Amino acid sequence: MDLAVLEKSVATVGAIVVFVFALIGLKGEWPKNGLDDIVTKLLLGLMAFGCLLVLLATAGVLPRGGA
Amino acid sequence: MSVSIAKQGYSLGHGHDEDAHEQVIYQETRDMRLLGFVLFLCSDVVLFSAFIFAYIYLRTTVAPAWPPIVGGHQLPRLDTAFATVNSVVLFGSGVTMHYALENFKHAKLRGFNAFMGLTIVLGTMFLLGQGYEYAHAQIGGWSGNIFGASFFTLTGMHGFHVFAGVVYLLVLWYQASRGVYTKERYFGLTAGTLYWHFVDVIWVGLFFLFYLW
Repeated sequence: MDLAVLEKSVATVGAIVVFVFALIGLKGEWPKNGLDDIVTKLLLGLMAFGCLLVLLATAGVLPRGGA
Repeated sequence: MSVSIAKQGYSLGHGHDEDAHEQVIYQETRDMRLLGFVLFLCSDVVLFSAFIFAYIYLRTTVAPAWPPIVGGHQLPRLDTAFATVNSVVLFGSGVTMHYALENFKHAKLRGFNAFMGLTIVLGTMFLLGQGYEYAHAQIGGWSGNIFGASFFTLTGMHGFHVFAGVVYLLVLWYQASRGVYTKERYFGLTAGTLYWHFVDVIWVGLFFLFYLW
């Protein structure tokens, strides 16, 4: 198997797992309103966004010109 | 928390309830330390932003083509496939760090140790992956062209933050094993978690800028 395909497959599975657990963590943090909780919510949300970027990259949507 | 409450706690401390006194004082200083730590993270955002905007300026204004043309040949793009794996490793470490803190809050020390260890392993794996990428990236050196200069400066600075974070987490883990933190008092672990999340989120931006844009 081509190494790039293998890497993208691993990244896809990993990104989905991390995304799901990040959302579960975010759901647990949601009712809390301390400063640290608010920052944690923001950062966990951005991390979940990072997983979406990885999924877009592995799907070939990004970068637009191709890797 | 207001100073008057701290004074109340202080008077309690001179009475019979030392624990309540300490708890009130801890709570007040915790809030101040937390604010200071968040401000430190904001200052780090400014530091990274300065370099990121310099990169965006160079890419959109100065360079006629991207990746830039060096010696008559256009440089290749970076290896996106490998970067996706390395990114997932770092994002995964952010999630495990979050669950390490949650386990500690609920006095589940086995879970805390497992997630903390996993976080450190994943952080180290990311650094090794970054080292591999440095060895194989065909974009010239640090001073060869604006692509290499931007890439090595920003990812190097980020890598240093990750390295510092791994050392920081090792210290926190050692402190936790020595009983420095309790179920009620764990500010150091909160700060460590925020720092690690911050390092992850900076990578979201760098990953997009260097590999996906």
